Parts: sequence; structure tokens; C-alpha cells
Amino acid sequence: MPEIFINGQAIEARDDQTVMEVAREHGHFIPYFCWHPQLSVVGNCRMCLVEVEGRGLDIACNMPVARGMQVFTNSEEVQAHRKAILQFITLNHPVDCGICDKAGECTLQDYHYEYSGQRSLSHDEKVRSTKFYNLSNRILLDNERCILCLRCTRFTHEVSKSMALGVERRGDTSNIRPVEDRPLSEDPYSDNIIDICPVGALLSRQFLHKSRVWFLQPTPSVCPGCARGCTVQIWHRKPEWKLKALDQRQNENIARVTPLDNPAVNGPWICNKGRDLAQLFERVRADEPMLKGRPVTVPAALDEARRLIGAARHPVALVSNWGSNEELETFKDKLGEVFHCFVKEDWQPQPGERLADDLLIRADKNPNTTRARELFGHAEPGFKDGTDLVLVWGEGFDFARLPPRARIIFLNSYLQPENGHADVFLPVSIQTERHGHYTNFQGTVSAFAPCFEKKPGVLHAEDLIKALAAPARGHP
Amino acid sequence: MKHLIPEFEKLRERFPAGFESSLVLPCLRRIQEDRGYVANSDIEELAVFLGVPPIQIEEVLSFYTQFRRKPIGRWHLQFCHNVSCSMNGAENILAHVERKLGIKPGQTTPDSRYTLSVVECLGSCGTAPMMMVNDGYHENLTFTQLDELLEGLK
Amino acid sequence: MPGRQLIMSFPVTATSHALPDYRARGGYGALAKTLGQMKPQDVVKEVTASGLQGRGGAAFAVGRKWQVVQYDDGQPHYLIANADEGEPGTFKDRWILENNPHVLLESMLIASYALNVRNCFVYIRGEFDLPYRRLADAVEEAYAAGLFGRNILGSDFSCDIVVYRGAGAYVAGEASGLLASLEGKKGYPRNRPPRLTVKGLYQRPTVVNNVESLSNIAWIISNGADAFKAVGTPKSPGTRLFSVSGHINRPGVYEVELGYPWMKFLDEDCGGVPHGRAIKCVVPGGVSSKVLTGADIANLKLSHEDLWDAGSTLGSGGMIVIAEGTCMVALLQVLMRFYHHESCGQCTPCRHGTGWLHRILDRIVAGDGRADDIERLYYISKFNDGTTICGLGDAAGYACSGILDKFRDEFEYCIEHKRAKFGGNLECLRSS
Repeated sequence: MPEIFINGQAIEARDDQTVMEVAREHGHFIPYFCWHPQLSVVGNCRMCLVEVEGRGLDIACNMPVARGMQVFTNSEEVQAHRKAILQFITLNHPVDCGICDKAGECTLQDYHYEYSGQRSLSHDEKVRSTKFYNLSNRILLDNERCILCLRCTRFTHEVSKSMALGVERRGDTSNIRPVEDRPLSEDPYSDNIIDICPVGALLSRQFLHKSRVWFLQPTPSVCPGCARGCTVQIWHRKPEWKLKALDQRQNENIARVTPLDNPAVNGPWICNKGRDLAQLFERVRADEPMLKGRPVTVPAALDEARRLIGAARHPVALVSNWGSNEELETFKDKLGEVFHCFVKEDWQPQPGERLADDLLIRADKNPNTTRARELFGHAEPGFKDGTDLVLVWGEGFDFARLPPRARIIFLNSYLQPENGHADVFLPVSIQTERHGHYTNFQGTVSAFAPCFEKKPGVLHAEDLIKALAAPARGHP
Repeated sequence: MKHLIPEFEKLRERFPAGFESSLVLPCLRRIQEDRGYVANSDIEELAVFLGVPPIQIEEVLSFYTQFRRKPIGRWHLQFCHNVSCSMNGAENILAHVERKLGIKPGQTTPDSRYTLSVVECLGSCGTAPMMMVNDGYHENLTFTQLDELLEGLK
Repeated sequence: MPGRQLIMSFPVTATSHALPDYRARGGYGALAKTLGQMKPQDVVKEVTASGLQGRGGAAFAVGRKWQVVQYDDGQPHYLIANADEGEPGTFKDRWILENNPHVLLESMLIASYALNVRNCFVYIRGEFDLPYRRLADAVEEAYAAGLFGRNILGSDFSCDIVVYRGAGAYVAGEASGLLASLEGKKGYPRNRPPRLTVKGLYQRPTVVNNVESLSNIAWIISNGADAFKAVGTPKSPGTRLFSVSGHINRPGVYEVELGYPWMKFLDEDCGGVPHGRAIKCVVPGGVSSKVLTGADIANLKLSHEDLWDAGSTLGSGGMIVIAEGTCMVALLQVLMRFYHHESCGQCTPCRHGTGWLHRILDRIVAGDGRADDIERLYYISKFNDGTTICGLGDAAGYACSGILDKFRDEFEYCIEHKRAKFGGNLECLRSS
């Protein structure tokens, strides 16, 4: 365990560490662009140059620790070199922050303010390159902003293994380019390169020019796209920045979804399906209860539901594996004895969707199968003769499989044709409207928090289940 | 590229095991020698044959100056314009050729006979000024010599 | 003859490069002695004792580089002769490949034996045509004579060689860029650590030596380290092959015993400057070495220590003589254009710096220089010194700051008057 000195502080390092790693562990911040804890070291940005007594300057990310070494992360030489590196990086950089989505979360902006603040020393025209390069149907590339840190190419070679990106040409006309005939579109992890790009060279098309990031706040959540349960950040408008006049729908929309770093589950990555959660959650919602398609009040619907439950001799419940731990536990507790329960798989893999891989994606495309099966068993839904009531919770069940003469209570969030076929239809909230937890395939429990308010006619399933379990009015 | 595979198999045997990736440069050189340039289909086929990602081949093709992805004229005239050659009249030689052929570096004559390029040091500084024509060196160039040479290139 | 000759020690004829002629002048005797009488560590000891310095540019002691390789570590080791020869002004490895390829092959066999190398390579720049053919022919001859392959000369030692052609990139002459290229990828140099002798080709211990460095091994083994040290000077043992070009009457490759007087070499051996013009300056060892004026070199000998003391290096031995009347502004423009073209683009200072240097020179030459351009050129050079992944960035800076140090007045003049003092002239013409 070699002892090294960073800015005079004695630190016990591990043999296999680099100065960068030790410095970070002990609160000495060394700036960097190309280094990333999950990617190989390339040492090309040169921003992490530090001074070592007796050795001059060298990059910290590739510097093994050596007993007794004296490292200075902020000497005059280091400061002068940081300014120079920033001069070189911004030499040909368009500095079009005014139209760049990355503004406000851009490493180059941050470092410029922190370490340089200098105007460009160049009298010469900037080298131009392609802007708005169509990298894929999801990602836009701006080669002028690119600082060739190669995080994106390394990601596609080392993490997603799609080998989709490389560098064409050399020198200051080098450009990141995708391999021909094998577009990045086939890589289900492609959008992670948007997060790890330190500048605004790689931008999400779905987020392009939608909002300035400082108007948004991230709420932690869990992606329901598969049983991995990657933790994510759902970005939406900050309450103090809610729009009052123009397009108020923006106040209720998901602006974008990014990973929430989670060493136990997904690390810093998510797959593209998680990026598209807005498409899932912003489908048209069901917002009023119905009896056989006829809109009624919540109390009326509850009454009828309780009456049906009370009258049923062989009630079956198909429990949603999208229910949160809390909702599922409440169902077990309150209605678990009343109904013969089966776990229902809301979602199946869709055509063209990657089934499973070694990285994140799981074949089970539902967020809480684990807890649901723990509580309600592994049996496939089946209806014995005499089943006279089926409570269907969640989407995705083919109503044609229901026994023809059974009554139906349907709990669902989205506007779907089946809603009108149910004897009682009750609209329920989605995860962005409440607190809750999911249990992933490894038994890890992750939390989600609400981003938006639910509409008045919509019920939280937990409340609804308790209400259904209460004695029906007028019945013993 | 398929007809070159037997040759490539022989070449593979000259290298130690596990050196498949190294074959990228020599195979591309041979493909270019054969076809005149490297086609998109060659990239796919070579990638499969060697078990390397196509992007590696694409990067190599654009990184090194000797590889081409499009055909050029029959005679590639490559003039060194680095230090010793410039100090020994390379600019004059180049200007002479430009006038004679009516093209500038980077261009090809309309009849596809000559393509003109300027290149960096070819390791022939003692016999400056000089040029490469396709694969061969032509050194100690004079205007007369150059004219005769061009005449002979059909 | 500028001193004793160890490599260019025979008259070049139509057949002197071929195996029979090579054998006739004692060729492969050193290999026989090595395999017959010496242990691998004896070879390493001898080469280290000789003090042989690298002749590619860095002058790193060859023996010290070899010593890092652990003979018995159970891994494959590789030896690579760097024949990329891209440093402008340099064409001396070419002489060896065309005229004495077997001395390289024999030396590589001895080195492979010493380093436990089973597979060795010559990485030769893609543009070389005759040198490649001569080398390839020599390899074929050597295989046919059982000098490569299994159980060489009846010993336990087996060795195979591949001649690997580059495809046009100066940066592939940098040892780690060379390895990337030999691995079939773009020639991006690597950061050190790890040293290439620890993790090199395909992450195995690899020794990369210049062609000329290796070509000395056969002589050292035949004649001994002491005999080698007796040639040249104590700090610069042996000879160097110099490629002489530019404004000189007899350009070409010369083998010079180190310590030989520089002016004597230029005036007598190389025929002096055309038209009797004075020497303005000389690039001693390839354009990445700092330029020295005629006055600087007047009393210097050609040795490492003399050059180091004068603030330059012998570098690659690519000597370019520049006559009085040459425009240093135009010359620097040519150099900056070169580095800009060859930068691999990996690291920030070189990728942008080489382009910036080139653009500033273009402006100055075009009559659009600014008052702070010289300061800027020094700034870019300074922040490419010791900050980059490989030496290309540093070299561009040395070439630039070296010329500015000696000829700043020409640049100031050009910026102020919007035309150069020497009008962009690069040729050595008869004085009018």
C-alpha cells in the first residue's frame, strides 16, 4: 500500500490505482474529458495533467501510484497548462452554446468558467465540419463541437459491443463516423453516448430544442421496461418554471429520461427503451370510471364493484406485474383471500425488440414479476368452470380468454377498447403519479417518486383496493 | 475479393496465431492492387474473413494516405513537396506538370490518364526533386526527363 | 571518407546486396558465432557494453531497452525493425534495405536469439518500392538457406520473419503508432506506461529498434563491444549513417565515424554548398531536430554530446543543408504543413496545435501576419512540449521554435512588411 502525497496530503493508495482514482477518492478534483470510470483509459484530452515533483507534468488518468510521489493538482504550471488545453479545445469549437442543448450541463462550459475564462488567442478561422449529422434516427452528431474524447466510440466497442462508431481521417479534420450499413440504430444502448459526451456533439433527437435543462428537474424513478429495473431520472419542468401561457402541456410532460447511476443494478447505463418512457406513459389516459361503457361517478363504480365481489361465488383476480410492492402487498392483504389470484404478465416482448443480453436487457418485459410471484405464485392464469367474476388489473390481457358468462371488473390506466366491455371500469394511476417500489429479478428493491399530479377521476390502486375490500353499502 | 482468399489464407499462415487483425493492411493493399481501389463490398467481405469489425477497416482506409475508395487515373503522379524537394525545385516541377496536364493536385485528367497529388517526404531527399508514379520512384527529375516520362505513360 | 566504416564498408555493385556477396564479405559469421558460442544473456551483455545508441531519433541505449524484456517470462516476445523512415531529410535506412539488407536480417536473428523472440517483423513504409523488393528478396534467400525457420544452423533456435508494409502515415514511425498499425488498425500512438518492452504488440513484450540500430549488432558481435567503443567517441560510440540533402553538391548517404568534424564532412566529403554559397543553417537530424546556424556548427563535431551542448540532437541523421539566401519563413511553412498533415489527431495539443501553427504560417507568408503571431507560435510550441501522447506534437514545436530562435528577424520583417526578406525563395541559385 504505497503512501503518496497529493497537494501535500499523505494518502494510502492501493498498488493498482492511478493517481486520478486516488485523487477522486480523497476529494482532490482533477478535471478530465476523456476519462470515464467504466471505459478504458485513452488519455487523449490531456486535461488531467498534474505536476509530479522531479518528473514534470503528465496525465493523472494513466499514472500509476509510486511510493513517496509528490503530486500537485493545482500548481502554477498545471493551471497554465489547463488554460492552454482549453485554448486548444476551443480553437475550432463553434461555441454556439446559444443553440446547443448541452448548455447548462456541459463540461466544456464548466471548465472554461472554472479554469480559463480566456478569449481565444487565435486570429484564424475555425476549422468547419459537419453539423446536424444524422448518426441515427435517435442521435444527432455535431462534429464541430466534438472534442474527440472518443468516449462514444469506446462505449460502442467496450460496453454495448455494437462496434458502430469510429474515427475517419486524422489530425484536425478527424470526424466521428458510424460504420456504413450498420447504423447505430441497431444498438439498443446507443443513447448512452449522449449522456457521456462531455459536450454538445451528441444530442438526443427526441429532446432536441425542447427545453433548456435549467428549467427541468430530475425525479428518481425505475424503468418498467423489463425485470432489470434500471434506475432512471425522469426530467420534467421545475415547479417554479412552469409555463403559464404557452403550451401548458409541457408542464405535465416528460422532457427526457436519463440513467440514475446505480452500481448495484445498471451502473450508469440504460437501454433506449427506458429513454422512450414518455411514449409509454403519455398514451391517452382513462380518466373516468364506467359501467359497461357508461361514465359514472367514483362512488357509483365502487358500489357496483363491491356488490359484484360480494355476490361472486368463484371470483378470480389477474394481478398486474406492473403493480408496485405496496400495491401488491395491499392486494394480498385485503383481497388475497377473497379472490383466487394469478399473476398476469402485462407485457410480452414486442417484434423487433431485443429479448435479452449480457448487459442489461431481460426477457421479462415487466417491472415487478418478482414481488408479484412471491405473493401470488407461479401458476398461469386459468379459469375453472363456474368462474363468475374476474378482476383484471393492468393492460395486456386478451379479453377473449375470459369466461363468457363471468362479470368483469377492470383496473387500467390507459384508454383502451376493453375498458368499455368491463362491467365496472376503474381508472388507476401510473408510477409517475405516486411513490412506490419495484423488486427486480435479483431481488433488489428500487424506489420511484411522483413527477406529476394524477387527474381527479383517477384512483391510486392502493386506495382502490382498500375501498373494494370494505363492506359493500347495503350488504352484510 | 473472393478470388483473393486463397492468397490471403497463405498470408495468414506467415503470421503467428491470433494475428488476424494484422492482416487488414496487407489484404487491403492486395485488394487495391487488384481492383484499383477498395469497394464497399470488400470491406464487408474482409471483415467477415478476418473476424474484425467493419469499422476497423473503414478507419484504416481513411487514416492511411495510400488507400483509395474510388478509382483514380491510370497513372498516379505523386510529387513530394516537403523540405529538401522544395529546396531543389519541386515547386517548379509541379507547376510544369500542372501546366502541361491542365490539372491541379487532387484532380484527374478528363481522359482518366493521370491523377496528380502532392505528398510528404518519401525518403528520397538526396535525389530531389522526385515523384512516385503508381508504385515506382522517379528521382532527380528535370523538365525534359519529366516530359519524356509522361509521354511514355499511356 | 569520414572515418571508419562499419556498415557501408564495401563497394556497391549490381550484386552486393545478395546473399552470396554478403557471405563473401563475412556475412552470417556473427550469427554462427552467436548460436555456436554465446548464450542469449551474453548477447545482451555485449550489446549493452558496446554503448550502442538508438539511431532512429531518440538515441536511447539499445542494451538498456533490451534488458527490460524478461527472457523466461513464458510469454511470446516480438522484435520489430522500424523501417518506416518518414522523418523529412532522412533516407539512410533505405540505403541499408537496398544495398545491405542481409546485415539487418542477420542482426535481427542475433537480437531475436538474445530476446527469446520467435517471430520478428520489419515494418517498412508503404511507399518504399525498391527497398521493399530488395528486403523481400533477401528474406527469401535467407529462408532458402535455412537462416530463418526452424533449427537455424542446426541449433535449437527457430525464428520467422514477416515484412509488413505500411500504408502512408508518418506517425506510424513512432514506436507505439507502429504497433497499432502492425495490429491492423489506424496508427494511433499509445500512452506510456506501460512501456512497449512490457506490453507491446498485442500486449506482449516487444522491442522496436531502428533499422540502422539493429544493423550494427552483427558487427558488434563479430568484433566485440570494446572494438565498437574504440570507434567514435566515448559518449557516442560507433558510426552514424547521415542522409545529406538540401543545398549540397553531393547529396546522399554517408557513414560518419562519430566525432568527425562537421564542416570538414560538409566541405570535403559532401562537396560543399552549390555556387560557393555560405551555409545559412543546417537541420542536423531530421526536421524534428532544432536548426543550427553556420556559425553554430563551425567548430562542432558530429557527435551526440556536441549536438546536445549546442541545443540540438543528431536525431534521425537526416541532415539538410540550407544555403544563404533561403527564406526561412517559407521553409517553416513547409514544415508546419507537414506536421499538420501527419498529426494523427488523437490528443488535444497536437491535433489543434499543428493546424494552428500551419494556419499562422500561411497567413504570415501571404502577407497577413499579426504582431502577436510569433509569440503565438512559441505558445503553441511550448504547450506541445511534453504534453502529448507521442513526440509528434513536441517535434512540431521544436521545428518551429528552433527556427524562430535563430531567425526571428525574418519573421518580424515579414509580418511588418507583408513580404519576406528572402521573398519565399527555397532554392540555392547561382548568385546574380
